Amino acid sequence: MVFSRLFFIYIFLPICLLFYALARNVKQKNWVLIIFSLLFYAWGEPVYVFLMMITALINYGAGRMIGRYQGKAGDTIATYFAVIYDFLMLGIFKYSGFIVENINALLSSDIPVPDIKLPIGISFYTFQTVSYIIDRHWEDVKPQKSFKNFLLYLTLFPQLVAGPIVRYSTIEKEIEDRKTSITDISYGLNRVALGLSKKVLIANQLSIIADNFLGNIESTTVFGAWFGAIAYAMQIYFDFSGYSDIAIGLGRVFGFHFDENFNHPFICKDITEFWQRWHISLSTFFRDYLLYVPIFGKRRKYGGLFLVWLCTGIWHGASWNFILWGVYYGIFVFLEMKIGKKNMKKIPIIIRQIYNKIVIIVGFAIFYFEDLGKLGSFFRTAFGFSGNGLIGIQDKISFMNNIYLVILAVVCCFPLIEWVKKLTDKTFFTKSVASLVTTVCSAALLLLTSVMLVDATTNPFLYFRF
Amino acid sequence: MSEINKNNSSPENVEYVGRYEKRPDNPAASSGNPRPLKPLKPLKKAGTTSSASQTEKPRVRKPAENAQGPKPARPAGQTVRRTDAPVGKKKKKSAAEKEAARQRAIKRKQEKRERRHNKITRGIAWVNVAAVGGLLAFGSVYMLFFKHETISQDENRYLAKFPEFTAESYFKGEYTEGIADYYDDTVPNRDTFKKIITNYITPLKGRKFGDDEVELHGIAFEKKDTQTTTAAVTTTSGTGTAVETTAAETTTTLPSAVDPAVDGEMANNILIANNRGIMIYGGAWGNEKEYAEYVNEYKEALPKVNVYSLVAPTACSFYTPENYKDLFESEKKDLDSIKRSLKNVTAVDAYTPLLAHKNEDIYSRTDHHWQPLGAYYAAEAFAEAAGVDFDPIDKYQKVTLYGFVGTLYGYTQSAALLNNPEKFIYYKPKNTLKVTQYDSYFQNPTEVELFLKPTTLDTSSYYMVFGSDERIAHVNNPSCKNGRNLVIFKDSYGNALLPVLANSFENIYMCDIRYFNINPVDFAKEVKCTDMLFAMCTYSAVGPNRDYIYNNLHN
Repeated sequence: MVFSRLFFIYIFLPICLLFYALARNVKQKNWVLIIFSLLFYAWGEPVYVFLMMITALINYGAGRMIGRYQGKAGDTIATYFAVIYDFLMLGIFKYSGFIVENINALLSSDIPVPDIKLPIGISFYTFQTVSYIIDRHWEDVKPQKSFKNFLLYLTLFPQLVAGPIVRYSTIEKEIEDRKTSITDISYGLNRVALGLSKKVLIANQLSIIADNFLGNIESTTVFGAWFGAIAYAMQIYFDFSGYSDIAIGLGRVFGFHFDENFNHPFICKDITEFWQRWHISLSTFFRDYLLYVPIFGKRRKYGGLFLVWLCTGIWHGASWNFILWGVYYGIFVFLEMKIGKKNMKKIPIIIRQIYNKIVIIVGFAIFYFEDLGKLGSFFRTAFGFSGNGLIGIQDKISFMNNIYLVILAVVCCFPLIEWVKKLTDKTFFTKSVASLVTTVCSAALLLLTSVMLVDATTNPFLYFRF
Repeated sequence: MSEINKNNSSPENVEYVGRYEKRPDNPAASSGNPRPLKPLKPLKKAGTTSSASQTEKPRVRKPAENAQGPKPARPAGQTVRRTDAPVGKKKKKSAAEKEAARQRAIKRKQEKRERRHNKITRGIAWVNVAAVGGLLAFGSVYMLFFKHETISQDENRYLAKFPEFTAESYFKGEYTEGIADYYDDTVPNRDTFKKIITNYITPLKGRKFGDDEVELHGIAFEKKDTQTTTAAVTTTSGTGTAVETTAAETTTTLPSAVDPAVDGEMANNILIANNRGIMIYGGAWGNEKEYAEYVNEYKEALPKVNVYSLVAPTACSFYTPENYKDLFESEKKDLDSIKRSLKNVTAVDAYTPLLAHKNEDIYSRTDHHWQPLGAYYAAEAFAEAAGVDFDPIDKYQKVTLYGFVGTLYGYTQSAALLNNPEKFIYYKPKNTLKVTQYDSYFQNPTEVELFLKPTTLDTSSYYMVFGSDERIAHVNNPSCKNGRNLVIFKDSYGNALLPVLANSFENIYMCDIRYFNINPVDFAKEVKCTDMLFAMCTYSAVGPNRDYIYNNLHN
C-alpha cells in the first residue's frame, strides 16, 4: 500500500489511529502497531510478508547470539551469518535477474532469467536489519530480547516500504517506553499533510512534464531535454522527501522520533554537500558501515569512496544506469575532495552553483533512463547534437501551461518553513499565530490533496520498488 | 523528567545554604563574607531551566518569604553594636537581598508566563489535532458510509467493484488491492470532485499560451491507465467510441479489453486551441503503405467486387491554428501516399470536400470524431465515386442534441472543453429502413432501430447514437433497386456513414474491423457483395488497427 491514496488516508490510517488511541499502555500500543504494520505490508505482499518475518526472526536470533557470545567466535559467526543472509536475500530478490542477464550477455550463455517480483521495501528493511546486527556486533546497542519488539522495529509501517532507513539505535528506547504529547501528535499530523501535498500536488504534476519531455527524448529539443530533466529532478525530490515527511510525521504521532532524511538538498553549494542533504539515512548508512571496510588496505580512503558510490548506485535499482549514476556522483565527490574544501570555497559561488546544479540535473537524467540508448539520446539532445533545435512551440506551450507549478516547485525547494519559523519564533505571540496559521494550512492542504486524489488514480511512490 | 528534577533541586539546595548563612543571629553571615550573593547565580539558572512544573510552585515561594523575613530582624541584630563599616555592608547586603527578591519575583513571573504559554501552546495543538484529525475522521465516515458511485459518465466506464474473495486472488495481492481500488475509485460524488479539479485546481498550474489560448495535453504520458481495472462501458453496452479513446480508459491489467491502438506509433497528444480539442497527428511513417497493401489483398481475393478506400482525415487537418502546424504531421501527405499505393482500389477523396466545408460544423470540438455533417460530405464523395444516387441533406430530418461534451474532455479534463459544450446534429432518413444486427460471427439476428434513442445517452456520448461497434449491422432498403450491395469495413468514424448511405444501396452490411470473427471473403460472397468500402480515420488506417484488416483476411 502507498500513503498517497485515499484508502490509506481515510480508511487504513484512521482505523489504526483509533485502535492505537484505545490501547491503554505501551505494550498494547505496540501490538496495535505490529498488527497494523503486518496488515499494511501484507496488503501489497501477502506472500512476501512471510519472507520479511523470517528475516526478522533470523536477525533477532543472531542479535541474541551476538549478545550471548560477546567477543567470542559465536559473536563473529552470528554476525557474518545474519549479514550474509540479509544480503543474499536482497541479491536473490532484487538482483538475480539483472546478474543472470549480464552473465548471459557476457558469456553468450543461455541461463534462464529468473522472473522474481521484488518484495516491496526489501532494500530498506534489509539495511535496517544489517545496521542492527553490525551495531550489535560493535556493542553500540543492547540486544533486543523480545521478538515482538524486534518485529515492531522492522515492520513499523510508516518507514517500512520506502524509508527513511531508521537505525535500531534511534528508536531503541522508544520501542519500550515512549510518551506522545499533544504537540507531538499535532506536529506529526501537520507533517503528514505536508508530505502528502508534496507528493500529490507537486511531484505527481511534475511527473507529467518530466515524462512528456524525457519520455520522447528522440524528438525533444535542447530546451525540452533540460526542462524535462529539471522537472524530473524536482519530482523525485518532492516524491521522496514527501514520503519521508509522511513517515516522520506518522512516527511522531506514534511517539517515535525518526531522524530527518532530507535537508533541502537543492540549496547545496557543491556535490559533497548535496549528498549530506539528500537521502541522509542512506548516505550515513554507507558512511558508517561501508566507508571504512578495510578491504582496500592503505588505499581505503579512495577505495572506500568508490565502493560507497558503487553501492549507492546499485542500491537504487538493478540496472546499469543506476550503477552509472552512483559512479558519476562518486567522481564528482572525488574531484571535490582532490580540490579540497578551502580551494572549493575560493571559487565564486555563482560558478559553484551552476556547476552543482548541472551535475545534479544531468545526474537525475541518468537516473531516469534505464535504457542506455535513450540516455545517449538525452546527452545528444541536451548538448545540442541531435538537430532537434533549441526550442519548439510545444516547449513554449508546455512551459506556459505549467509555469505556476514550476515556480511553486522551485520556491518550495528552499527552506521556506525554516525561514518563517525563524522569524515567528521571536515572540510567543507570533509563534502562536504561526501555529494557528499552520493548522489552517495543514487542513487546507489535506483537503486539496484529497480532492486531487479522487482524480489521480494510484500513482505509486517512485522509491517503492527500489 | 528526572533531568528536570535534578536541575531544580540543585539551586534549591544552594538557596537553603544561603539562607542559613544569612540568618541575622549567625555572625558568620554578617562578617563581610561575600557569600550571601551566591544564591543569585543559581537562581538565574533556575529561572531559565525551569519548565514550570506545578510541584515547583510552593518550593519557590518558600525561600522568597524567608528572604523577606530577615529584613526587619536585621536592624535589631548585632549591627547596632558594630562599627560603621558593617553598616555600609548591611546596606549593601540589603540591596543584594532586594536584588535577589527582584530576581525571584521575575522568576515567578516568568514561570507563570511559561505555564500560561504552555497552556496556550497545548491548546493550539489540540485545535490542530482536532482540525486535521477531524478531517481524517470525517473523510473516513464519508468514504465508509456514504453511497459509492458505480459508473463514470465522462470517463465512459464502470468504476471498480468490490472484489470477490478467492484464495488465489488473495495470495496474488489482487483481493486486498481490489478493496483499496474500490474505495479509491468510487468516492461518493466523484464527478463533482473531478469538476472541482477541472475548474478550480488544474487551471492554477499555469496559463494558456498565445492568442489561441492553447493547452497541450499528453495523455500518452499521464499514465492514467494504471488503476482503472474495469472495462469500458462501451464494450458491454456497445456504444461505439473509437479505438483510440476507449483503450486509454480501460486497463492495462485486462489485456483483452485493451485496444491495440492505444500504444500506437502516433502519440495521442491533444492540443486545445480556441476551446477546440485537436488530436496531434504524428504521421504514418510508412504504415500507410501497409494499409494500402492490406486493402489491395481484399481486391485480389474479390476481383469482381468494387473496392473503395475512404480514409477520413481528423480535425487537425482543418482546425490547427497556423502557429502550431509544426506540431503535426500532414495527414494529406499520408492520404496521397495511400492513394498511390492502392491497386485497382478506388481511393475516395474525403479531404477535398471536407476542406471546402471547413467553416461548417463538420468536426466536434470536444470529441475526437467528426460530426455527422462531416460524414455526410465524405459519404457524398464516396457515392460519387461509386456512381450511386445520393440524397441531398434537406431530405433528412435534422435532429439536434445540446450540451455535448465529448471524449476529448474525458482525456484532457480541460475546463476549456467542459465549459464550452457544443451541439451534436445528425440526419435521420425519413423513409422506413429494415435494420438487423448480428453478432461479430454474423449470428443471432435481431431487429433494431437505425439509431439509438438519444435520451438514453449521456451528454458525453452522443456519437453513440449510431449504435455500437461490436456488431454487424444490416440495413435493407426496400425502395432502392439498383442491385448494389455494400459491405463496409470501418472503425467508429464509419458509423456515421451508414444513415446517409442507406438510400444509395439495396443492402448495406456494416462491419467493424476490430470485431469481425468470420472470413471477410466468404462473408462478402455470402451477402452478394458488389461494393466494398474501407472507411476509417487516419489513426485507424495507419495505426495498429490496420493489423485487423490483415488478420481478418488471414485468420
